[in-house]
Amino acid sequence: MGDLLYHFTEWLRTTPLVELTLWLSDTSVSLWLQTHFWAIPILQCIHILSIASAFGSILMVSLRLFSLAGTERTMAETERRYIRWIWWSLVMLVVSGSLLVISEPIRDLINPVFWVKMVGVVLAILASLWFHGRVMRRLAAGGQAGPVIKTGAVLIIILWCLIMLGGRWIAYAPV
Amino acid sequence: MYPTPTNIWERIEFSSLGTTIAESTWMFPTLETLHVIALVSVLGTIFVVDLRMLGWTSNKFAVTAVAKDTLPWTWGAFVLAAITGGLLFISKASSYVGNPYFLWKMGMMALAGLNMMYFHFMTWRTVEHWDRDASMPVAVKVAAALSIVFWLAVVFFGRAIGFTLGIFGS
Repeated sequence: MGDLLYHFTEWLRTTPLVELTLWLSDTSVSLWLQTHFWAIPILQCIHILSIASAFGSILMVSLRLFSLAGTERTMAETERRYIRWIWWSLVMLVVSGSLLVISEPIRDLINPVFWVKMVGVVLAILASLWFHGRVMRRLAAGGQAGPVIKTGAVLIIILWCLIMLGGRWIAYAPV
Repeated sequence: MYPTPTNIWERIEFSSLGTTIAESTWMFPTLETLHVIALVSVLGTIFVVDLRMLGWTSNKFAVTAVAKDTLPWTWGAFVLAAITGGLLFISKASSYVGNPYFLWKMGMMALAGLNMMYFHFMTWRTVEHWDRDASMPVAVKVAAALSIVFWLAVVFFGRAIGFTLGIFGS
């Protein structure tokens, strides 16, 4: 695993990403974020709080699906309660995450763990579009949650845990 | 290999558990990851109740119902956060106790706990009078607002520790 990530980093160093990171780290936004000590910690706090509201909301919807919480509401009511929080938290995650990339471009963009995490993020967004689109429409129409939907709900939670794993390990990847 | 401990914090840090975590390449980051997953679950579920208590969300549903749905998960996640946090602490005990942000974080958690206890033992006694109301009594709103403020502060001070461990003490 370590070897694989090392070769991934070596490859990233041969891509145009290097010039992009150098350019990004010289932009006025990046310089401002780099030179204000509390800017990055505060952005990270916003990032963590956005995960909290996204993950908490996704957890409550999934628990309702398994009848482990919120059973006095219908599935549709539970979805209505949380869906806006899920999408707006995702927006906040992308905005705060992008600013974090701009503040430390090399640490993130020339980092194999960062790109693994990004694959996870894309998969999570696609899975959420499926879950909160087609699945929820079917459940609202009185359909039952079969094994595919239930497995999907569990996989989405696991995927988010892996994304958080990636997020933390960005700091420990050899760059 | 390790110097003789001169105080309780060094004794904790130089314990076999402490040095095992500190010397491992993967244990500290893995504990941090579990700590993050646990703390976002704590915050995500606590805020669901706080927002209901402020009268901003879930107003069609009783406060007791919202609390019953979330609190078992909040507590489960809190236990995981406390265990992983405790193990992280053991591996760098003397650095943490010398860090003002760590002390602030512990203080904020104590305040969050006191706020919760006051709410639970005092305000909660009249819950049947306002359980289903859309607009909550002032005491309930204050408890919810304080909970949000204290937990936001816990997150901020927690993150600040990671940026300042090298600045204070050894």
